[in-house]
Amino acid sequence: MPLVIFVDDSETALASTRMVTNSMPIEVKQYTEATVALAEIKAGMTPDLIITDLNMPVMNGLEFLKELRGVTATSRTPTLMLTTETKTELKQQGKALGLTGWIVKPFNPAQLKQAITRVLRLPA
Amino acid sequence: MLILKSVDELLEHIKDVQSSVKSLSNDSLMNMSDYMQENKLEIDDKIATAFQYQDIITQQLDASLEAIDSMRQSIAVFSHAFKSDEDLANGSLMKLQEKLNSALKEAKEKKERFSGKSSGNESENDEIEFF
Repeated sequence: MPLVIFVDDSETALASTRMVTNSMPIEVKQYTEATVALAEIKAGMTPDLIITDLNMPVMNGLEFLKELRGVTATSRTPTLMLTTETKTELKQQGKALGLTGWIVKPFNPAQLKQAITRVLRLPA
Repeated sequence: MLILKSVDELLEHIKDVQSSVKSLSNDSLMNMSDYMQENKLEIDDKIATAFQYQDIITQQLDASLEAIDSMRQSIAVFSHAFKSDEDLANGSLMKLQEKLNSALKEAKEKKERFSGKSSGNESENDEIEFF
């Protein structure tokens, strides 16, 4: 099964994504800190899709994305930003770093499922 | 100076209350999450939105907590200047006002930025944007 990792400092945000995705044919790992997810990726974890929050302490979503692009295994891994932010310049920064898409919270469960299905090319 | 001390104490109290609200709000929804998982309940749009509102509430509170910290720091710097040199304090009063205004402006900007679709922007950002 494809591995999808979620990174969000909010426990309740992770709980909602966990409940939305638990019926999908994917393996899910969740992290409250981008640095921990990054360490696991550098240690050999190869996610098929990364979904990250933007505003997080220690390392924010864009810094995380930049680090991911510097790791061979995740240099081209599809990555979605799941955030309350709507600023165009932040979206452009993400796009320049090869971000796949931008989802504004609160998301609709069906839309999140569709986005994961589309990016991973899962059977609809 | 006594007024500033009172303002600082008030800010400290607001900060304590906001921190407690943030923590209680998180615990409340995590209990609901545990209940739903234990009973294998499906999440629907309304519940998903409720969980994400808690995230938005937390971010809003964090932004205002940052503003409170910034204001308290500025008040502390001014109070120190006032104690050491009254002339210096007169100049610092202007700086204090500027810093308080700046902290308030930043907090208001963050409130807007961290609202997501919860503040009536649904139509603008309803779709997931793929690049």
